[in-house]
Amino acid sequence: MRLAVDTGGTFTDLVIGDESDLHLFKAPTVPADPSQGVFDVIGVAAEAFEMTLADLLAATTQIVHGTTIGLNAIVTGSVARTALLVTEGHRDILTLREGGRLDPFDHATEYPSPYVPRRLTFEVPERITADGEIYRSLDTGLLENVLDQIERADVEAVAVSLLWSIVNNRHERQVGDALRRRFPTLPISLSHEVNPILREYRRTSSTCIDASLKPVVSTYLDRLESRLRGCGFAGRLLIVTSQGGVRDAADAQDHPIHTLGSGPAMAPIAGRAVLAETGHTAGIVIDTGGTTFDVSVIRDGAIPRRSDAWIGATFTGHMTGFPSIDVSSIGAGGGSIAWVDEGGLLRVGPRSAGSTPGPASFGRGGLDATVTDAAVVTGLLDPTRFLGGTMTLDADAAMAAFGRVGDQLGLDPLSTATAIIALATEAMIHAVEDITVARGLDPRSAVLIAGGGAAGINAVEIARRLGCRAAILPRGGAALSAAGGLASDLVFETTKVFSGRSDSIDSTTLVELLRQLDDDAMALAGNGHSAGRFERFVEARYITQAWDIDVDIDLSPLTTDGVDHLTARFEDCHRRLFGFVDQGCPILFSSWRSRLTCAAHEQHDTPARIVGPDRGAAPVRTRPAVWPRYGVLDTVVTTPDALGSTPIAGPLLVETAYTTLAAGPDTFICHDHGNVVVTFEEVTG
Amino acid sequence: VNSRDPDVSPIDVALTASRLNAVAAKMSNTLFRTGRSGVLNTARDFSCCIVDSAHNLVMAADSLPIHVMSGPDLISRWIEHHHPVRRRGDAFLHNSPYEGNSHAADHTIVVPVFDDDGRHRFSVLVKAHQADCGNSQPTTYMANAVDVYNEGALIFPAVQVQRDFVDIDDVLRMCMNRLRVPEQWRGDYLAMIGAARIGERALEDLGRDVGWDHFEAAANGWLDYAERLVRSTIARLPDGLGEADTMHDPFPGVPDGIPIRASVTIRGDEIDVDLSDNPDCVPCGLNLTEATARTAALIGVFNSLGPSLPANAGSLRPINVTLRTNCVAGVPTFPHSTSVATTNVADRVTNAVQLAFSSIADGLGMAEHGAPTPGSSAVISGTDPATGEPYINQLFLTITGGAAGPHHDGWLTICHAGNAGMLQRDSVELDESRFPIIVHRQELVADTEGAGRHTGAPIAIVQYGPRRGVLRALYAIDGAVVPAHGTLGGHDGGRAAHQVLRRNGERETPTATDGVELHPGDTLITVTGGGGGYGDPTQRDRDAVRTAVDEGLISPHRARTVYGLETEQP
Repeated sequence: MRLAVDTGGTFTDLVIGDESDLHLFKAPTVPADPSQGVFDVIGVAAEAFEMTLADLLAATTQIVHGTTIGLNAIVTGSVARTALLVTEGHRDILTLREGGRLDPFDHATEYPSPYVPRRLTFEVPERITADGEIYRSLDTGLLENVLDQIERADVEAVAVSLLWSIVNNRHERQVGDALRRRFPTLPISLSHEVNPILREYRRTSSTCIDASLKPVVSTYLDRLESRLRGCGFAGRLLIVTSQGGVRDAADAQDHPIHTLGSGPAMAPIAGRAVLAETGHTAGIVIDTGGTTFDVSVIRDGAIPRRSDAWIGATFTGHMTGFPSIDVSSIGAGGGSIAWVDEGGLLRVGPRSAGSTPGPASFGRGGLDATVTDAAVVTGLLDPTRFLGGTMTLDADAAMAAFGRVGDQLGLDPLSTATAIIALATEAMIHAVEDITVARGLDPRSAVLIAGGGAAGINAVEIARRLGCRAAILPRGGAALSAAGGLASDLVFETTKVFSGRSDSIDSTTLVELLRQLDDDAMALAGNGHSAGRFERFVEARYITQAWDIDVDIDLSPLTTDGVDHLTARFEDCHRRLFGFVDQGCPILFSSWRSRLTCAAHEQHDTPARIVGPDRGAAPVRTRPAVWPRYGVLDTVVTTPDALGSTPIAGPLLVETAYTTLAAGPDTFICHDHGNVVVTFEEVTG
Repeated sequence: VNSRDPDVSPIDVALTASRLNAVAAKMSNTLFRTGRSGVLNTARDFSCCIVDSAHNLVMAADSLPIHVMSGPDLISRWIEHHHPVRRRGDAFLHNSPYEGNSHAADHTIVVPVFDDDGRHRFSVLVKAHQADCGNSQPTTYMANAVDVYNEGALIFPAVQVQRDFVDIDDVLRMCMNRLRVPEQWRGDYLAMIGAARIGERALEDLGRDVGWDHFEAAANGWLDYAERLVRSTIARLPDGLGEADTMHDPFPGVPDGIPIRASVTIRGDEIDVDLSDNPDCVPCGLNLTEATARTAALIGVFNSLGPSLPANAGSLRPINVTLRTNCVAGVPTFPHSTSVATTNVADRVTNAVQLAFSSIADGLGMAEHGAPTPGSSAVISGTDPATGEPYINQLFLTITGGAAGPHHDGWLTICHAGNAGMLQRDSVELDESRFPIIVHRQELVADTEGAGRHTGAPIAIVQYGPRRGVLRALYAIDGAVVPAHGTLGGHDGGRAAHQVLRRNGERETPTATDGVELHPGDTLITVTGGGGGYGDPTQRDRDAVRTAVDEGLISPHRARTVYGLETEQP
């Protein structure tokens, strides 16, 4: 059997796939030692299977792990003490950043400190130009002085990021060699190896993050793996990467920046598997937990990437600069708190009640009215069936909390709770629109795939407003991320910066370059992975633009049609994203990439039956629930298994183990491939 | 405007505000990703907003304050004045500084939005700084222009550029025949029209979805909400009268500098700002426009009110700004030039207003921001000999300048008061790949912060020059003579400076406005003005002083002598 473990902020989720079933388990995350949470949840599973931990691990061929170890180390400031070497004259790259601010009149937010402090940033006498020429040779004598200073600074890792190393890496390699000679055991990251992208702040930021994570990620993965081995695990330990694939744990240690987006990358992978199985070509994947709402998009099996993701707040956090699956996140979820501001405007979030004290209805001392409380008040959630009936919510406490909010507005609790759900829906729609606009995806061509514990409250309404073809609650939706782990492939990517214009570039050179990148990717993959699938991409823009777009290209048409193939592919992408092309304007191609995808396991279909911790299925029944534009309606409450493949008309509440899907009037609900599917037009025949 | 619809609940207002914000954000995202000039696609020097049929600014998400607080309202009025009959499919190009625009280099596209019965309900505006606007010199900030003729920008007073969604080529040809690097302008024009049309479509969908009357009523409710919020904020401030003076550096045409005075009165839940006691219009490009004079004052007010207040017609109701006609910081008269109306004197007005607030009580207002616009934000132009292609664009390398406030240090990269740090900085590598230049250094300078209980941003030195061909750099550097003043015991910020280092080692100091011509091997060394400090430096948090010493931003000597830090005995 195969295991996928996703370490989240509150819970560590485990999904086990065997021949016929998907089993879901949850155990509390142990922040002080996340590997303990992994063992705990596997222990829970072993108990349910009436096996010993050793027997279960011995029967396991593969463990796919999504970890937040790197992210947490950054957030809590427990990364390695890291030195940074930059080109002379540019010591303040990390301090000056790329500018930008969210609120022009917010003079309370302090200007952010650099990721590596100024006192640990050292200047290297050298300069290379945009075309790769050496403008000033590296002064090796002065470099030794810099190394002396580093020695005195007593650092645990070193990052090197010189201007234009992406075009000519000679100086960066020389500095790297000198560092290794002087400090043989110190982890070192070179920018042209970690993240060969244009724009020095981003590349420098990635390189520093990578170097600073090396000790902590290595320690964690080494410890986890040796403990697993010690308990009899003889299979393969794979780590989910922010690029949406998996890598062997040992590879992940070499460039730990790959593990940064490990957790959030899993939901879109699961979404992609759902799309493939249901035959849709475009999807919007949402993952709604207690505090955050994550959204990503998929088109034709591809998940777009971005390299401007932030750790922490936009502009005041640290930009990773590292290409990773584009997952946007906003502070909205089941725990988002309702409040009334000074001008009398009803607001929701971004503050969240979290799990302690939690929403008012949790009865743990929380008094704040949250989205989850609103779902209880409006009848969308059955307080006796929360978390598969393992937890009972206090409906009176939820009502009282909304009474307090409503009093400030002169509104009754029910109207206030209804409004809070509508406002949360608006915030989520805005987040979805942001990413679909940026990605040129028309929501009307897509299905919405809803995952996460709080997904069911708003998903159908979001899909209706955006005009999506359907909303799909996949089986295992409440643990969508962990389910994504089982659907992951091994991904190996190689990149080369090589600039050329469409009116002068030579396609023979490019074919050679791409073949070389393919070979490099195969070398990365190592033995036994030659049977993979290659995809190739180029980043390109019109010469006068500043932002590249990612264009997928093919090798054989490039060989036959030459540069015309690249131009045609670029124009297709540009039109889709921005609605126009500029015929005749030369295109600048700048960064070439080859991606080798190899199956991480033989069987790709996820089992159709889901096994949760259900304390016995609830009977089909009715209860009053509030629906937008309709008010209170007596609503049937059912389960996925009670639904057939013939759509029935809403309103309907579909209860699953960890979430309840609310489908209002004017919707049609059916059960298909184990998923619950909601459409907005009656399908006949 | 004030018609109250009893059916509009606070919830409708909240939902409508959220959806209007999404519309404005969608327009901005589109423009950022499709703009051609670096001014748009890197620096984000543009604003997208929505005004209602009564010309009230309703929503301006992610916008630069100097572009939008006042201006869109005036422009909307002038469009209606010149085109009383408009219909769906129309689009207008407007940049007249005498009719509500900020300055000639900000092209504004206005698209009126109609309901299905053809009734005008809202307008969307896209205002974007252009890489070139046809001035007689290759810069969009021509400080030495003696008048509008000498300035030479192409002026479009509410000129129709689209009918039935189709371009009116006659107008576009004027630009294509007269602007530098016209293809770049055309690309930006396409991007602006695209963003406006996206906003139009989104508003139409919204109106149809919720009903137009309801939509308008809810939008009015949003303005009323903003007004309540600002009134309650002002009511908490102490009543009082404050006055402050500052000065723009001497420039050609103004050999004695331009003294700027603001007086601020806080009374109950209202604020009056009086700018009328300022000099008449001057014979150079520094005069403000009506939009930027009022907005500069409003920025000073909002900097003193605190975060999270929406900037729209409602929130501006309790704030009255008095302007005088034919005044350098008021309403300009033809043919005075207003080429630099968004930055230099505008910043001094904002600064005078926030200094005046601080003079009312400690805890209010701010010190002065560092002055724009150093050579690190020059408009550069030339022809790349490697390709034979001409280029022109504004650089956005490092500009520091943030002023200290009562509870915070200056924002390091505020850039200037009018954009409040919202602009993005250029990447050295991107600039070097687009233009034949090389940037040798960008670094902060120790011991140059505006000392205080809270400190103003230090200065930065930026040095660059051409790699190939001749480079022309034009800018208008203020703050080299008059620094950013500190307040309530805070020290002044570091002075701006600039110098040319020739290939042969000779150094020259150019004038503040005439720009420089550089050959390969020559470099421009420019120093950005620092921000002023707030309060007595000896009251500064001790740990903050020690950290600055560790980070090499303050010398131990300065820590001791200015901040009174006791040195630890070994």
